[in-house]
Amino acid sequence: MMFKVDPLSIFIAAGVIFFSIATFIYSFGFMREHPRRRGYYFYLILTSLVSLATALTNNLILFAGLWGFLGLTLYLLININGEIAVPAAKKTLIIIGGTDALMLLGIAMVYSLSGSWQMDKIKLDFTTAPSIFAYIFILCAAFAKAGAMPFHTWVPDCAQNSPGPVAAFLPASLDKLLGIYLIVRLTFGMFKMSAGLSLIFMVLGAVTILSAVMMALVQHDLKRLLGYHAVSQVGYMILGLASANPIGIAGALFHMANNAIYKSCLFFCAANVEKKAGSQDLDKLGGLAKFMPVTYISALIASLAISGVPPFNGFFSKWMIYQGVIIKAREVGPAAGSVVLICLVAAMFGSALTLASFVKLLHAVFLGVLPSSLENKKIEEKGMGMKIVPLFLALLCLLSGIFAYKIPFKYLFVGAELKYPGIWNASLASLLIGLGLFIGLVIFRLKQIRPVFRQEQAYVGGEPAPRDETRVSGTQFYETIKQFGPLKGIYLRAEAGVFDIYEQGKNLTFAIGKFLQYLHNGVLPTYLVWTLLGMLGLFLVLVR
Amino acid sequence: MIRNLFDFLVFPGFLTAIFVGLLTGGIDRVVTARIQWRKGPPLFQNFIDIIKLSAKEIIIPAGARFTFLLSPFFGLLAVSLAAAIIGRALINPLESFLGDVIVILYLLGIPAIALIIGASSSRNPLASVGASREMKLMLAYELPFIISLITVIVKSKGALHLGSIINYQVNNGANLYSFSGALAFICMLLCAHAKLGFVPFDVAEAEQEIMAGAMIEYSGLALALFKLTKAVLLYLLPLFLIGLFWFTNANLFVFIGKFLVIIVLFVLIKNTNPRLRIDQAIKFFWGPVTICALAGLGLAILGY
Repeated sequence: MMFKVDPLSIFIAAGVIFFSIATFIYSFGFMREHPRRRGYYFYLILTSLVSLATALTNNLILFAGLWGFLGLTLYLLININGEIAVPAAKKTLIIIGGTDALMLLGIAMVYSLSGSWQMDKIKLDFTTAPSIFAYIFILCAAFAKAGAMPFHTWVPDCAQNSPGPVAAFLPASLDKLLGIYLIVRLTFGMFKMSAGLSLIFMVLGAVTILSAVMMALVQHDLKRLLGYHAVSQVGYMILGLASANPIGIAGALFHMANNAIYKSCLFFCAANVEKKAGSQDLDKLGGLAKFMPVTYISALIASLAISGVPPFNGFFSKWMIYQGVIIKAREVGPAAGSVVLICLVAAMFGSALTLASFVKLLHAVFLGVLPSSLENKKIEEKGMGMKIVPLFLALLCLLSGIFAYKIPFKYLFVGAELKYPGIWNASLASLLIGLGLFIGLVIFRLKQIRPVFRQEQAYVGGEPAPRDETRVSGTQFYETIKQFGPLKGIYLRAEAGVFDIYEQGKNLTFAIGKFLQYLHNGVLPTYLVWTLLGMLGLFLVLVR
Repeated sequence: MIRNLFDFLVFPGFLTAIFVGLLTGGIDRVVTARIQWRKGPPLFQNFIDIIKLSAKEIIIPAGARFTFLLSPFFGLLAVSLAAAIIGRALINPLESFLGDVIVILYLLGIPAIALIIGASSSRNPLASVGASREMKLMLAYELPFIISLITVIVKSKGALHLGSIINYQVNNGANLYSFSGALAFICMLLCAHAKLGFVPFDVAEAEQEIMAGAMIEYSGLALALFKLTKAVLLYLLPLFLIGLFWFTNANLFVFIGKFLVIIVLFVLIKNTNPRLRIDQAIKFFWGPVTICALAGLGLAILGY
C-alpha cells in the first residue's frame, strides 16, 4: 500500500488544495509582469502536487523522497526573487536539506527496528536508545519544516526575501501543515507519546512562542516580522500536541489550520503593500489604510485573529489548547505540573506580545501618518485576485471563529471523546456584539449628528506640526522593552545570531576549516613533522 | 434570546454597568476631593459629563474615519459582554453562560486594544505616543494578571467556569483567606488598577505631559464612549476580583461592602502615588509584582 487515506491526511490534503488555489488566484495579479513567472508557476504546481502526495502517502521511502523534493522546490521558489534572495535560499536549503539527511537516517533506523516501511504498521516506543535517536532524527525534519525552535531560523529570512505569495504559500501555510502532520504521525502513530517527551515538547513550545514573538516585537521589516510570527505560532501547536489529550490535540490541529488561514492572509496583505507602496520597510510606510482599504480591513481582522481576540478563530483554537494544557497540569504531579503551568503562562502572555507586535505593524503600515516620500506616489489597490483572496481569508477567520464549535473535531483525530472543560458560546457572543453595534449605530443616526463630520488637522500643542519631523512610525514603540534590564543582553546576542543554529553551524565549520588551513600552510618541514608524528603514533599502536 | 439580550443590555450588562460604574466614579471623585481638602463635584457629576459630551460635536482629525469612530464602540461592547458574563455568574453560579475565565481575560483586553487602534488611527504624534504607552502598559500588567488567574484556576482544582470557581469558594471558603490567594489578590488588584488607567499608571493619558495622549483627538460622543468603557471597567473589575477571590454566601449588603472596600483600595492607591514613567511601570510589573504572583502560584501548587 503506497497510499492511505484517513481523516487526518484528508484534512491536510484539503488544506494543501485550498491554499494552492488561493495562492494561484493571488499570483495572477501579483506576478503579472514578473520576468520569471513561467518558472514560478511551474514550481508552484509542482509544490502543490508533491505536497498532496506527501500528505497521502503511507510508505516511508516515498515520503522521504517527496519530502526532499519539497525542500528543492522551496529553494527554487525563494530564488525567484533574484539576487537579494540568494543567501536566504541557501540558508533554507542547508537547514531543510540537513534535517532531511537526518530524517533519512532516522527512517533507516526505524526500518531496522520495525522491519516495515508502512507508516501505519510501525509501532515503536522509547525503550531502546536506537528508537529514541530514530525519533529525534525524524522529528528534526518535522521541526525544521514547521519552523519550530531550534530549526526556525530559515523562516524569517525566507519570509523577508522571497516573493510575497511564496512566503504565504510555503512557510506560512503548506510547510506548517506538513510539518505538524509529520509530528502528529510520528508521535501519535509510529511512536507513543511518553510523559517525559510531553514535558520536553511543552518547554520547547513555550520557548518557541516567547522568543520568536519577542524578536518579532523589534523588527523593522514587514515580512520579516511576519516570519517571526510564523515561528511563534508553531509553539502553540506543539504545546497543544504535548498535552496529549483529545482537546489539546484537536486544538493544535485547529490552530494549525487557523494559522495557515490568517498567516497567509497577512503575507498576502504584506505583498500588496510591498507591491503598491514599493517598500516593506516599516519606517518608510504609514497611513496606507486610506489608499488600500480592502488590504487594511483584511490585515486588521487577521491581526486580531492571530492575537487571539474573541470571536476570531485564533482565539478558539488557543482556548482549546489552554484547556488541554490545564488538564495536563492536573494529571501530572506538582513538580511537573508547575513546569506545565509556567508554559501555560508563557503561551497566554505570548498572545499579548503578539498583539503588541501587530499593533506596531498596523500603526506603522496602515494607520499613522503617510510619509512625504509616498505622497506623490499613486497608491491604489488593483487586481481582483489581490483584493479578493485576502478578504476571503479574513472572512474565513471570522466565520471559522464563530462557528468553530460546530466543527466535528472527533473525526479529525482518533481518541477519546472531546469534552470542553470551559465554555465559549462564540455565536451568541458575536450576535450580542452585533446587535449592540446595530443599536449603537441606530442611536448615532437618530441623534441626527451632522451627516458629514467636521474634519480638522491633528492638534499638536497649537502649532502646525511639520509632518515628517513629528511623524511617529511605530517601529520605536518597544524600545523601552528592548532596553529592559535582562532582556537587553538577550536581544543583543539574538541580533548577532548567537541563537541561530545556522550561524553557529557556519562558525563551527569555519573553525574546523581554519584549523585545517592553519595546518596546511605549505611549509615543507611542518608536513614532515606531522608525517613523522603520525608514523610514530602508528608504530606505537601496532607495536603495543 | 430575549433573556440574553436583556442580560447583555440591561442587567447585569450594559445599563447597570454604566450606572454603577459612573456612580462609583462619582464616589471616587468625591473621596479624592475630600482627601485633597477640596469640596469636589456632586456625586452625579460623571453622568452630567457623559450627557454633556454626547451633545457636543464630533470632530475627526483629517484623514481618519471609520476605524477612528468604530473602535470606541467595540471596546464598550466587549466590556459590556464581560460584565454580563461576570454578573450572571455571580447571581447564579451554577448556570453556565457564554464564556469562562479565559474568555473574560481576553475580553478584558479588548478595551485597551480599542483605545490603541483608535489612537493610532487619529494621526496625531501624541496619540501615537499614548498608544505605544498603553500597549506597553498592557504587556506589563498582563503577565502578573495571567499568573494570578492561573493561581485561582489551580486553587479551584482546574475549574474554568467563573461559576464553578465561585461554587468552590462557597464550599471551601474564599480564596482570599489563604497565602496563595492573598498574594494573587494583591497582584491582581494592582493589575486591575493599571487596567483602569488610574494614577500611578495613567501614562497613556498623562494630561500634563502628552495632553490625554491616546484620547487627544477624541471629542463628543466618541470620547463619551471611552469614558463609559472606563466606567464599565470600574464596575466589573471589582466584581471579577470578588468572584475570583472573595465570594462567600452572604447577603447583598456584605457584597456591596466588599465592592466598596475594593473601590477604597483603588482610591487609596490612586491618591497616594505620583505617576510613574512607562519604563518604571514595566519594571514594577515585571519585577516585584510578577515575582509575587509566581510565589502565589507556587504556593497554590503546593496547596497553601
